[in-house]
Amino acid sequence: MNTQGIQSSEKTGVNVDKGELTHEGDFFTPAVDIYETSQEIVMNVDLPGVKPEDLDIDLRDDTLSIIGKVTETDNKGTDLLVEYKVGHYYRSFLLTDVIDRSAISANLSDGVLKLRLPKAAKAVPRKIPISEG
Amino acid sequence: MQLWRTGGLRRGDLEMLRRLDDMFNMMNNVRGQSPRTFWTESRLFPLMNVKEDPDSFVVLTEIPGMKIEDLELKIEGGTLTLKGERKAEELPPGASYHRREIATGPFQRSLTLPAKIDSEDVTATYRNGILKVTLAKEKRAVPKQIKISSE
Repeated sequence: MNTQGIQSSEKTGVNVDKGELTHEGDFFTPAVDIYETSQEIVMNVDLPGVKPEDLDIDLRDDTLSIIGKVTETDNKGTDLLVEYKVGHYYRSFLLTDVIDRSAISANLSDGVLKLRLPKAAKAVPRKIPISEG
Repeated sequence: MQLWRTGGLRRGDLEMLRRLDDMFNMMNNVRGQSPRTFWTESRLFPLMNVKEDPDSFVVLTEIPGMKIEDLELKIEGGTLTLKGERKAEELPPGASYHRREIATGPFQRSLTLPAKIDSEDVTATYRNGILKVTLAKEKRAVPKQIKISSE
């Protein structure tokens, strides 16, 4: 569509329908790239302004949630131009059983979180016990 | 008036896409969902926030995932130009994208500051994906006493 250069995408707020956000302040949905290789699934999440200690990655049941807080803001001086809003980030994903949860690794550098979700060596077969009687 | 570069779309295309966009929003609303923009109009990249202090300007830019060597900052007169390219990650062979939301490609933006600045006193830091450029305003000419000699 456009070969001239990149454009910034609008920061979208977290969808309230999904609820569960009881935190203070504005939350935005970060942009995500996800790709899959034969070994793993890799996610790149744009979290500009988030320091490693303010990033919270939580895996509970099937839900992987990412909460990044922007704690350091420049409030000095008067605003001349405001093109983007500053706020925290929240996004959650549903994981499938293909992923080896104990081996998930995360790295945050230059405002980009890289999550590596290795695939399990063998998908654990699920057996349904049948009782006699 | 400052003219901004807004990508390669012509006015007619923009109008048409905006209409399509409205249509999608309408459909979403009918289905009872919050309006979700299917296509947002061509936007500047990167977005900048500018603040003013009594003695300096601070330009903040969100551009995560950059290497410092891919960023070029220039000051010419009172105009700050930021140029660079956000490169896409090279995928290993056989990999495929499931989702691709992060924009990549070259960009350039210029910003003219509303007061004279001292081009020797400009500092820039890139941390956590945010570029912060601090530009000191030009010091007012220091008053100089001129001695008058009598002949």
